[in-house]
Amino acid sequence: MRAWLGPLAFGLIVAAATAGAAILAIPYGLMNVAMERLGQGGINHMSHGNLATPERQPVVRPSPDLAYSTCPYDLSKGPIAIDMTPVPGRYSSLSIFDAATDVIFVRNDVEAGGKPFRIIVARAGQEVPKGAEVVRTQHDRGIALVRLLLKDPSEIGALTAIRGQSSCRTVTKLK
Amino acid sequence: MKSWHRYTITLVGGLAVGLGAAWALTGGGLGDGAIRNGAWTTSLGYGTKATDPLTRAMVARSGLLALPAKETLYWMATTDEAGAPLDGDCRYSLSGTALDARWWSVTVYDEQGYLVDNAARNWSVNGANVALDANGEWRVTISPAKPAAGAWLPGGKGGPFQLTLRMYNPGKAFRAAPARAALPRLVKEGC
Repeated sequence: MRAWLGPLAFGLIVAAATAGAAILAIPYGLMNVAMERLGQGGINHMSHGNLATPERQPVVRPSPDLAYSTCPYDLSKGPIAIDMTPVPGRYSSLSIFDAATDVIFVRNDVEAGGKPFRIIVARAGQEVPKGAEVVRTQHDRGIALVRLLLKDPSEIGALTAIRGQSSCRTVTKLK
Repeated sequence: MKSWHRYTITLVGGLAVGLGAAWALTGGGLGDGAIRNGAWTTSLGYGTKATDPLTRAMVARSGLLALPAKETLYWMATTDEAGAPLDGDCRYSLSGTALDARWWSVTVYDEQGYLVDNAARNWSVNGANVALDANGEWRVTISPAKPAAGAWLPGGKGGPFQLTLRMYNPGKAFRAAPARAALPRLVKEGC
Protein backbone atom coordinates (compact mmCIF):
# COMPACT_ATOMS: atom_id res chain seq x y z
CA MET A 1 0.00 0.00 0.00
CA ARG A 2 2.88 2.34 0.84
CA ALA A 3 4.04 2.02 -2.73
CA TRP A 4 0.93 3.97 -3.78
CA LEU A 5 1.48 7.02 -1.54
CA GLY A 6 3.85 8.74 -3.97
CA PRO A 7 1.78 7.98 -7.08
CA LEU A 8 -1.44 9.12 -5.34
CA ALA A 9 0.11 12.41 -4.24
CA PHE A 10 1.36 12.86 -7.79
CA GLY A 11 -2.15 12.10 -9.14
CA LEU A 12 -3.68 14.75 -6.84
CA ILE A 13 -1.20 17.36 -8.04
CA VAL A 14 -1.95 16.42 -11.66
CA ALA A 15 -5.71 16.68 -10.98
CA ALA A 16 -5.40 20.13 -9.37
CA ALA A 17 -3.14 21.44 -12.14
CA THR A 18 -5.43 20.02 -14.85
CA ALA A 19 -8.53 21.55 -13.25
CA GLY A 20 -6.83 24.95 -12.98
CA ALA A 21 -5.58 24.88 -16.56
CA ALA A 22 -8.97 23.74 -17.88
CA ILE A 23 -10.81 26.51 -16.01
CA LEU A 24 -8.43 29.06 -17.54
CA ALA A 25 -8.85 27.52 -21.02
CA ILE A 26 -12.66 27.12 -21.07
CA PRO A 27 -13.47 30.78 -21.99
CA TYR A 28 -10.99 30.75 -24.89
CA GLY A 29 -12.32 27.43 -26.18
CA LEU A 30 -15.96 28.50 -26.03
CA MET A 31 -15.15 31.84 -27.65
CA ASN A 32 -13.53 29.94 -30.54
CA VAL A 33 -16.67 27.82 -30.92
CA ALA A 34 -18.85 30.96 -30.90
CA MET A 35 -16.64 32.65 -33.52
CA GLU A 36 -16.90 29.55 -35.68
CA ARG A 37 -20.71 29.47 -35.41
CA LEU A 38 -21.17 33.22 -35.89
CA GLY A 39 -18.49 33.53 -38.55
CA GLN A 40 -20.45 32.00 -41.42
CA GLY A 41 -20.67 35.43 -43.06
CA GLY A 42 -16.89 35.78 -42.83
CA ILE A 43 -14.39 37.20 -40.37
CA ASN A 44 -14.30 41.02 -40.01
CA HIS A 45 -17.79 41.17 -41.48
CA MET A 46 -21.04 42.09 -39.71
CA SER A 47 -23.80 39.47 -40.16
CA HIS A 48 -27.35 40.47 -39.31
CA GLY A 49 -28.98 37.36 -37.89
CA ASN A 50 -32.62 36.40 -37.66
CA LEU A 51 -34.32 36.22 -34.27
CA ALA A 52 -33.35 33.33 -32.01
CA THR A 53 -35.74 30.37 -32.06
CA PRO A 54 -35.34 26.78 -30.81
CA GLU A 55 -34.07 25.95 -34.32
CA ARG A 56 -31.55 28.79 -34.42
CA GLN A 57 -29.42 29.30 -31.30
CA PRO A 58 -25.78 29.90 -32.23
CA VAL A 59 -24.93 30.97 -28.66
CA VAL A 60 -26.23 29.80 -25.28
CA ARG A 61 -29.13 31.72 -23.66
CA PRO A 62 -30.16 33.86 -26.64
CA SER A 63 -32.86 36.47 -26.05
CA PRO A 64 -35.83 35.95 -28.39
CA ASP A 65 -36.63 39.69 -28.08
CA LEU A 66 -33.35 40.97 -29.50
CA ALA A 67 -32.07 41.12 -33.06
CA TYR A 68 -28.36 40.32 -32.90
CA SER A 69 -25.77 41.40 -35.45
CA THR A 70 -22.35 39.85 -35.02
CA CYS A 71 -18.84 40.47 -36.28
CA PRO A 72 -16.24 37.86 -35.31
CA TYR A 73 -12.94 39.70 -35.81
CA ASP A 74 -9.24 39.01 -36.21
CA LEU A 75 -6.77 41.87 -35.84
CA SER A 76 -3.69 39.92 -36.97
CA LYS A 77 -3.71 41.73 -40.34
CA GLY A 78 -4.56 45.14 -38.88
CA PRO A 79 -7.21 47.07 -36.93
CA ILE A 80 -10.91 46.92 -37.74
CA ALA A 81 -13.48 49.71 -37.96
CA ILE A 82 -16.95 49.12 -36.55
CA ASP A 83 -19.81 51.42 -37.54
CA MET A 84 -22.92 51.33 -35.40
CA THR A 85 -26.23 53.02 -36.26
CA PRO A 86 -28.76 53.11 -33.40
CA VAL A 87 -32.45 52.76 -34.22
CA PRO A 88 -34.45 55.73 -32.86
CA GLY A 89 -36.59 55.16 -29.79
CA ARG A 90 -35.44 51.72 -28.73
CA TYR A 91 -32.62 50.02 -26.85
CA SER A 92 -29.63 49.10 -28.94
CA SER A 93 -25.98 48.64 -28.02
CA LEU A 94 -22.59 47.73 -29.41
CA SER A 95 -20.45 45.51 -27.20
CA ILE A 96 -17.01 44.06 -27.94
CA PHE A 97 -15.69 40.87 -26.30
CA ASP A 98 -12.07 39.73 -26.48
CA ALA A 99 -10.78 36.15 -26.87
CA ALA A 100 -10.93 35.67 -23.07
CA THR A 101 -14.67 36.64 -23.17
CA ASP A 102 -13.99 39.95 -21.32
CA VAL A 103 -16.03 42.98 -22.36
CA ILE A 104 -13.66 45.63 -23.70
CA PHE A 105 -16.27 48.12 -24.92
CA VAL A 106 -20.01 48.83 -24.48
CA ARG A 107 -22.04 51.78 -25.73
CA ASN A 108 -25.81 51.96 -25.99
CA ASP A 109 -28.03 54.23 -28.07
CA VAL A 110 -28.60 56.73 -25.24
CA GLU A 111 -24.88 57.05 -24.52
CA ALA A 112 -24.36 57.59 -28.25
CA GLY A 113 -26.98 60.36 -28.23
CA GLY A 114 -28.97 58.31 -30.75
CA LYS A 115 -26.32 59.08 -33.38
CA PRO A 116 -24.19 56.71 -35.48
CA PHE A 117 -20.60 56.25 -34.30
CA ARG A 118 -17.40 54.52 -35.38
CA ILE A 119 -14.97 52.57 -33.20
CA ILE A 120 -11.51 51.33 -34.23
CA VAL A 121 -10.41 48.10 -32.50
CA ALA A 122 -6.62 47.65 -32.50
CA ARG A 123 -3.80 45.79 -30.79
CA ALA A 124 -1.24 47.81 -28.86
CA GLY A 125 1.20 49.33 -31.35
CA GLN A 126 -1.02 49.01 -34.44
CA GLU A 127 -1.32 52.22 -36.41
CA VAL A 128 -4.82 53.72 -36.44
CA PRO A 129 -6.51 56.55 -38.38
CA LYS A 130 -5.89 60.00 -36.87
CA GLY A 131 -8.66 61.37 -34.70
CA ALA A 132 -10.51 58.06 -34.53
CA GLU A 133 -11.99 56.67 -31.31
CA VAL A 134 -9.84 53.64 -30.55
CA VAL A 135 -10.33 50.59 -28.31
CA ARG A 136 -7.03 48.81 -27.62
CA THR A 137 -7.03 45.09 -26.87
CA GLN A 138 -4.50 42.44 -25.84
CA HIS A 139 -6.02 39.74 -28.08
CA ASP A 140 -6.21 39.39 -31.86
CA ARG A 141 -9.56 37.69 -31.88
CA GLY A 142 -12.98 38.47 -30.47
CA ILE A 143 -16.60 39.23 -31.28
CA ALA A 144 -18.39 42.57 -31.75
CA LEU A 145 -22.10 42.29 -31.06
CA VAL A 146 -24.98 44.66 -31.81
CA ARG A 147 -28.18 44.14 -29.81
CA LEU A 148 -31.40 45.73 -31.05
CA LEU A 149 -34.61 45.44 -29.06
CA LEU A 150 -37.77 44.58 -30.99
CA LYS A 151 -41.19 45.52 -29.67
CA ASP A 152 -42.60 42.63 -31.65
CA PRO A 153 -40.86 39.83 -33.64
CA SER A 154 -42.70 40.87 -36.82
CA GLU A 155 -40.77 44.16 -36.83
CA ILE A 156 -37.54 42.55 -37.93
CA GLY A 157 -38.27 42.83 -41.67
CA ALA A 158 -38.91 46.56 -41.49
CA LEU A 159 -35.61 47.09 -39.64
CA THR A 160 -33.43 45.31 -42.23
CA ALA A 161 -32.26 48.52 -43.92
CA ILE A 162 -31.24 50.35 -40.76
CA ARG A 163 -29.58 47.23 -39.30
CA GLY A 164 -27.56 46.99 -42.51
CA GLN A 165 -26.01 50.39 -41.74
CA SER A 166 -24.03 48.83 -38.87
CA SER A 167 -20.89 47.27 -40.30
CA CYS A 168 -17.44 45.92 -39.58
CA ARG A 169 -14.34 45.89 -41.84
CA THR A 170 -10.56 45.82 -41.86
CA VAL A 171 -9.03 49.30 -41.80
CA THR A 172 -7.25 49.96 -45.09
CA LYS A 173 -6.84 53.74 -45.07
CA LEU A 174 -5.12 55.49 -42.21
CA LYS A 175 -6.14 59.02 -43.22
CA MET B 1 3.38 -3.88 -10.47
CA LYS B 2 6.26 -1.59 -11.26
CA SER B 3 6.51 1.90 -9.86
CA TRP B 4 6.09 3.62 -13.23
CA HIS B 5 2.88 1.63 -13.76
CA ARG B 6 1.46 3.18 -10.62
CA TYR B 7 2.54 6.66 -11.70
CA THR B 8 0.98 6.15 -15.14
CA ILE B 9 -2.32 5.05 -13.59
CA THR B 10 -2.47 8.06 -11.25
CA LEU B 11 -1.39 10.41 -14.07
CA VAL B 12 -4.32 9.27 -16.25
CA GLY B 13 -6.64 9.30 -13.24
CA GLY B 14 -5.46 12.78 -12.20
CA LEU B 15 -6.05 14.16 -15.71
CA ALA B 16 -9.56 12.69 -15.81
CA VAL B 17 -10.45 13.90 -12.31
CA GLY B 18 -9.03 17.37 -13.08
CA LEU B 19 -11.04 17.75 -16.30
CA GLY B 20 -14.17 16.43 -14.62
CA ALA B 21 -13.72 18.78 -11.67
CA ALA B 22 -13.25 21.80 -13.99
CA TRP B 23 -16.41 20.90 -15.89
CA ALA B 24 -18.41 20.35 -12.70
CA LEU B 25 -17.13 23.54 -11.04
CA THR B 26 -18.04 25.69 -14.05
CA GLY B 27 -21.45 24.12 -14.69
CA GLY B 28 -23.36 26.00 -11.99
CA GLY B 29 -24.55 28.58 -14.46
CA LEU B 30 -25.50 32.17 -13.72
CA GLY B 31 -27.69 30.78 -10.92
CA ASP B 32 -24.68 30.43 -8.67
CA GLY B 33 -24.22 34.18 -8.52
CA ALA B 34 -23.47 35.82 -5.20
CA ILE B 35 -26.63 37.95 -4.88
CA ARG B 36 -29.95 36.34 -3.94
CA ASN B 37 -33.41 37.95 -4.05
CA GLY B 38 -36.48 35.70 -3.69
CA ALA B 39 -36.25 32.99 -6.34
CA TRP B 40 -33.62 35.00 -8.27
CA THR B 41 -29.83 35.12 -8.16
CA THR B 42 -27.32 37.31 -9.98
CA SER B 43 -23.78 38.64 -9.74
CA LEU B 44 -22.55 42.14 -10.50
CA GLY B 45 -19.27 40.73 -11.83
CA TYR B 46 -20.42 39.43 -15.20
CA GLY B 47 -18.70 40.71 -18.30
CA THR B 48 -16.06 42.66 -16.43
CA LYS B 49 -12.31 42.16 -16.33
CA ALA B 50 -12.40 41.97 -12.54
CA THR B 51 -14.19 38.63 -12.77
CA ASP B 52 -12.14 35.75 -11.36
CA PRO B 53 -11.20 32.82 -13.65
CA LEU B 54 -13.86 30.51 -12.21
CA THR B 55 -16.72 33.02 -12.63
CA ARG B 56 -15.46 33.87 -16.11
CA ALA B 57 -15.51 30.18 -17.11
CA MET B 58 -19.00 29.75 -15.61
CA VAL B 59 -20.31 32.75 -17.51
CA ALA B 60 -18.66 31.53 -20.72
CA ARG B 61 -20.52 28.25 -20.37
CA SER B 62 -23.93 29.60 -19.40
CA GLY B 63 -24.06 33.18 -20.68
CA LEU B 64 -21.34 33.81 -23.25
CA LEU B 65 -21.27 37.44 -24.49
CA ALA B 66 -23.18 38.63 -21.40
CA LEU B 67 -23.17 42.39 -20.79
CA PRO B 68 -21.81 44.05 -17.61
CA ALA B 69 -24.27 44.98 -14.84
CA LYS B 70 -24.41 48.69 -15.70
CA GLU B 71 -25.82 47.71 -19.07
CA THR B 72 -27.85 44.63 -18.13
CA LEU B 73 -28.63 42.73 -14.94
CA TYR B 74 -29.20 39.03 -15.62
CA TRP B 75 -31.24 37.31 -12.93
CA MET B 76 -31.65 33.55 -12.97
CA ALA B 77 -34.30 31.36 -11.33
CA THR B 78 -33.97 27.58 -11.22
CA THR B 79 -36.41 27.21 -8.31
CA ASP B 80 -39.65 28.85 -7.17
CA GLU B 81 -39.78 31.13 -4.11
CA ALA B 82 -40.15 28.13 -1.80
CA GLY B 83 -36.92 26.65 -3.17
CA ALA B 84 -38.48 23.79 -5.17
CA PRO B 85 -36.87 23.17 -8.61
CA LEU B 86 -38.91 24.55 -11.53
CA ASP B 87 -40.85 21.68 -13.12
CA GLY B 88 -42.31 21.85 -16.64
CA ASP B 89 -45.32 19.82 -15.54
CA CYS B 90 -46.35 22.42 -12.94
CA ARG B 91 -48.20 25.72 -13.07
CA TYR B 92 -46.54 28.88 -11.72
CA SER B 93 -47.66 32.43 -11.14
CA LEU B 94 -45.11 35.08 -12.11
CA SER B 95 -46.18 38.57 -11.03
CA GLY B 96 -44.84 41.96 -10.12
CA THR B 97 -44.91 45.68 -10.68
CA ALA B 98 -43.12 47.64 -13.41
CA LEU B 99 -39.38 47.07 -12.93
CA ASP B 100 -36.86 49.85 -12.49
CA ALA B 101 -35.14 49.42 -15.84
CA ARG B 102 -35.35 50.88 -19.31
CA TRP B 103 -36.64 47.55 -20.55
CA TRP B 104 -36.99 44.07 -19.05
CA SER B 105 -37.94 40.54 -20.10
CA VAL B 106 -38.35 37.06 -18.61
CA THR B 107 -37.38 34.11 -20.85
CA VAL B 108 -37.90 30.35 -20.39
CA TYR B 109 -34.88 28.10 -21.08
CA ASP B 110 -34.11 24.43 -20.61
CA GLU B 111 -31.47 23.30 -18.09
CA GLN B 112 -28.66 23.95 -20.57
CA GLY B 113 -29.85 27.50 -21.31
CA TYR B 114 -31.49 26.91 -24.69
CA LEU B 115 -34.97 27.78 -25.97
CA VAL B 116 -37.40 24.86 -26.23
CA ASP B 117 -40.09 24.67 -28.90
CA ASN B 118 -43.73 25.14 -27.88
CA ALA B 119 -47.04 25.37 -29.73
CA ALA B 120 -47.43 29.10 -29.01
CA ARG B 121 -43.93 29.89 -30.39
CA ASN B 122 -43.47 32.19 -27.42
CA TRP B 123 -40.52 32.10 -25.01
CA SER B 124 -40.65 35.39 -23.16
CA VAL B 125 -42.70 38.17 -21.66
CA ASN B 126 -41.44 41.73 -21.43
CA GLY B 127 -42.29 45.13 -19.99
CA ALA B 128 -43.86 46.22 -23.26
CA ASN B 129 -46.30 43.32 -23.63
CA VAL B 130 -47.57 42.65 -20.08
CA ALA B 131 -50.80 44.36 -19.02
CA LEU B 132 -50.85 46.29 -15.74
CA ASP B 133 -53.98 46.04 -13.55
CA ALA B 134 -55.53 48.86 -11.48
CA ASN B 135 -52.84 48.38 -8.81
CA GLY B 136 -50.05 48.66 -11.36
CA GLU B 137 -49.33 44.91 -11.21
CA TRP B 138 -48.83 42.40 -14.01
CA ARG B 139 -49.30 38.65 -13.82
CA VAL B 140 -48.32 35.77 -16.14
CA THR B 141 -49.07 32.05 -15.79
CA ILE B 142 -46.18 29.71 -16.66
CA SER B 143 -47.66 26.30 -17.39
CA PRO B 144 -47.66 23.44 -19.93
CA ALA B 145 -51.22 24.26 -21.11
CA LYS B 146 -52.79 27.63 -21.87
CA PRO B 147 -54.73 28.93 -18.86
CA ALA B 148 -58.43 29.82 -19.22
CA ALA B 149 -57.71 33.49 -18.63
CA GLY B 150 -54.79 35.88 -18.45
CA ALA B 151 -51.32 36.03 -20.02
CA TRP B 152 -49.50 32.73 -20.66
CA LEU B 153 -45.88 31.76 -20.97
CA PRO B 154 -45.35 28.09 -21.90
CA GLY B 155 -43.07 26.33 -19.40
CA GLY B 156 -40.48 23.64 -20.07
CA LYS B 157 -41.83 20.48 -21.67
CA GLY B 158 -42.22 17.91 -18.93
CA GLY B 159 -38.76 18.54 -17.49
CA PRO B 160 -36.85 21.04 -15.39
CA PHE B 161 -36.58 24.58 -16.73
CA GLN B 162 -34.98 27.92 -15.87
CA LEU B 163 -36.02 31.55 -16.12
CA THR B 164 -33.75 34.45 -17.00
CA LEU B 165 -34.86 37.96 -16.10
CA ARG B 166 -33.01 40.61 -18.09
CA MET B 167 -33.07 44.23 -16.96
CA TYR B 168 -31.61 46.58 -19.55
CA ASN B 169 -30.15 49.79 -18.11
CA PRO B 170 -31.32 49.09 -14.55
CA GLY B 171 -31.94 52.14 -12.32
CA LYS B 172 -29.16 53.32 -9.98
CA ALA B 173 -31.05 52.21 -6.87
CA PHE B 174 -31.36 48.75 -8.34
CA ARG B 175 -27.65 48.47 -9.03
CA ALA B 176 -26.79 49.81 -5.57
CA ALA B 177 -28.94 47.28 -3.65
CA PRO B 178 -30.06 44.48 -5.98
CA ALA B 179 -30.71 42.06 -3.09
CA ARG B 180 -33.43 44.35 -1.68
CA ALA B 181 -35.05 45.52 -4.91
CA ALA B 182 -38.60 44.43 -5.77
CA LEU B 183 -38.37 41.57 -8.28
CA PRO B 184 -41.20 39.50 -9.80
CA ARG B 185 -42.66 36.84 -7.48
CA LEU B 186 -42.57 33.23 -8.65
CA VAL B 187 -45.06 30.96 -6.87
CA LYS B 188 -46.05 27.36 -7.67
CA GLU B 189 -49.81 26.99 -8.00
CA GLY B 190 -50.06 23.27 -8.67
CA CYS B 191 -48.88 20.30 -10.74
